[in-house]
Amino acid sequence: MTNPRKGERRFALALFLPALLLLVATTTLPLVYLLWTSVQRIDLSMPWLTGFAGLANYAQLGGDARFWSSLGLTFIYTATTVVLQVVVGLALALLVMQVRVGQGLLRIAAILPIVLAPVVAGLFWRSLVLAPDFGVMDFLTRALGLGSYNWLGDPQLALLSVIAIHTWQWTPFAFLVLLASLAALPPDIYEAARLDRAGPWQRFWHITLPMLRPAIVIVVILRMVTALSAFAAIFAATGGGPGTATEILNLYAYRLSFTELNLGYGAAVATVLLVITLTVSFGLFALRRGR
Amino acid sequence: MKLRNAVLLVAAVLMMFVWAFPVVWGLLTSLKTERDVLAYPPSVVFEPTLGNYADILFGATSILPNLVSSVIVSGLTTAVTMLFAIPAAYALSRLELPFKRGAGFYVLATQMLPPVGLVIPYFLILRGMGWTDTYQGLVLVYLTFALPFAIWLLVSYFEEIPREMEEAALLDRAGRLRALWYVILPQAKGGIAVTVIFVFLNSWNEFLFAVVLGGNTVRTVTVAMFNFISLEQTQWARLAAAAMAGMAPVIVLGLIAQKHIVKGLTVGAVKGGGRR
Repeated sequence: MTNPRKGERRFALALFLPALLLLVATTTLPLVYLLWTSVQRIDLSMPWLTGFAGLANYAQLGGDARFWSSLGLTFIYTATTVVLQVVVGLALALLVMQVRVGQGLLRIAAILPIVLAPVVAGLFWRSLVLAPDFGVMDFLTRALGLGSYNWLGDPQLALLSVIAIHTWQWTPFAFLVLLASLAALPPDIYEAARLDRAGPWQRFWHITLPMLRPAIVIVVILRMVTALSAFAAIFAATGGGPGTATEILNLYAYRLSFTELNLGYGAAVATVLLVITLTVSFGLFALRRGR
Repeated sequence: MKLRNAVLLVAAVLMMFVWAFPVVWGLLTSLKTERDVLAYPPSVVFEPTLGNYADILFGATSILPNLVSSVIVSGLTTAVTMLFAIPAAYALSRLELPFKRGAGFYVLATQMLPPVGLVIPYFLILRGMGWTDTYQGLVLVYLTFALPFAIWLLVSYFEEIPREMEEAALLDRAGRLRALWYVILPQAKGGIAVTVIFVFLNSWNEFLFAVVLGGNTVRTVTVAMFNFISLEQTQWARLAAAAMAGMAPVIVLGLIAQKHIVKGLTVGAVKGGGRR
């Protein structure tokens, strides 16, 4: 007769190991290969130069202005989209809590951007909303007397546009999560606060916000990870351009590897992005656990 | 008070409009002729035509092969993912698994990897294996995001099943595998269905892996959108029709699973982040 606990452990391992091995094989080993690639010179347009390069690719990053600019753009893109999503999402959730009718319809509208493939979202915006001449945005600004703009052709407007697209697509996520947490808050606390004659602002700062903290932190973590791996919507809307105006690290690593065929250097850029993503997400998780 | 309610209602309607607008406008555009699309000011009243849909489904630039590609890739990814994720999630949620915390954290970490960091090594690996532009190659890569996601989503559903159920089954000496099959799985049917929907949806919408690692044989519908864009001219109406046809499955799935969408999107962070 075997020990039942030992039996359970063995059974659990037998169920878990296949998935674990598959994950190691499909995610961790390729990442090791990414690191290996990043210390190679692999330029498919000059295959005769292929060979071990040591840290040369990383050393090259230091003097690469395009890399620093894309690092800066990644920072701007991630920070603004996450802040906008949380602020707008929270404001809308607070607002909708006051509206009793039509919440079902609102939820359906909120789900549309979320289920849309980011590449389609990018194309929709590029063609229908932001296209010069016949796009809806241009129609609006002209109707308001603000004039016509080349939304995706001007470097600064293009950055603004891709930020707007990302915010449009993912704010419903923040909204839905925060709405669900708002609805779950105990109503008696507000009753007590009202009896204490706390004003609406005081109630928001001292009750709602602290109680929503865990939900907000979840939203920030997940939105950051999504923003840091954003690719398809920008690719579809601007392709990283005009020039390198919307070229965040993802786009830069992609263009280096698959347009310029310089995979070794592209791998080095991707490794930097990987380190940033993992540091940021584990940092946020640690922060959350520490509380 | 009346005024305040009216303002709130207007604000809510406005936001609904903003979110639904590109999709609604896309639908309208897909029913226009290429000439009507370019009209200024943008027209809401026009003679609708199904010509674009006929073109993109049965014409020279048919996206039917791409829809088939997407169905095969997403279907296979979902099947393989569930096959591995269900037992793993059961072990992680209900059994005494050695190094449980570490194992859970590892699965979560794999979910956070930026795709561009994976697409570069996979490009070289699949090329070496002769697996670029093959279904098995793309499904293998899709597992990198589908599997960790499915495991965490299923864990959250398995944890909701009352423990007494399986204890009773185990006391009957039913055997652990039978308890999983006859007791846990029927109880978790809803959660499994939602997981299937999300894995399918995420695979369907994937673009970066598909564009780099696919090709002429395996060309998913998200990649096929670019058939209608060229340097000389873009066929906006056909593009809109292709987008609507390509997105119809996920919109339908999203509406079916709408109640579960918040849970599906927050999974992992809630569990993996430790204390709530």
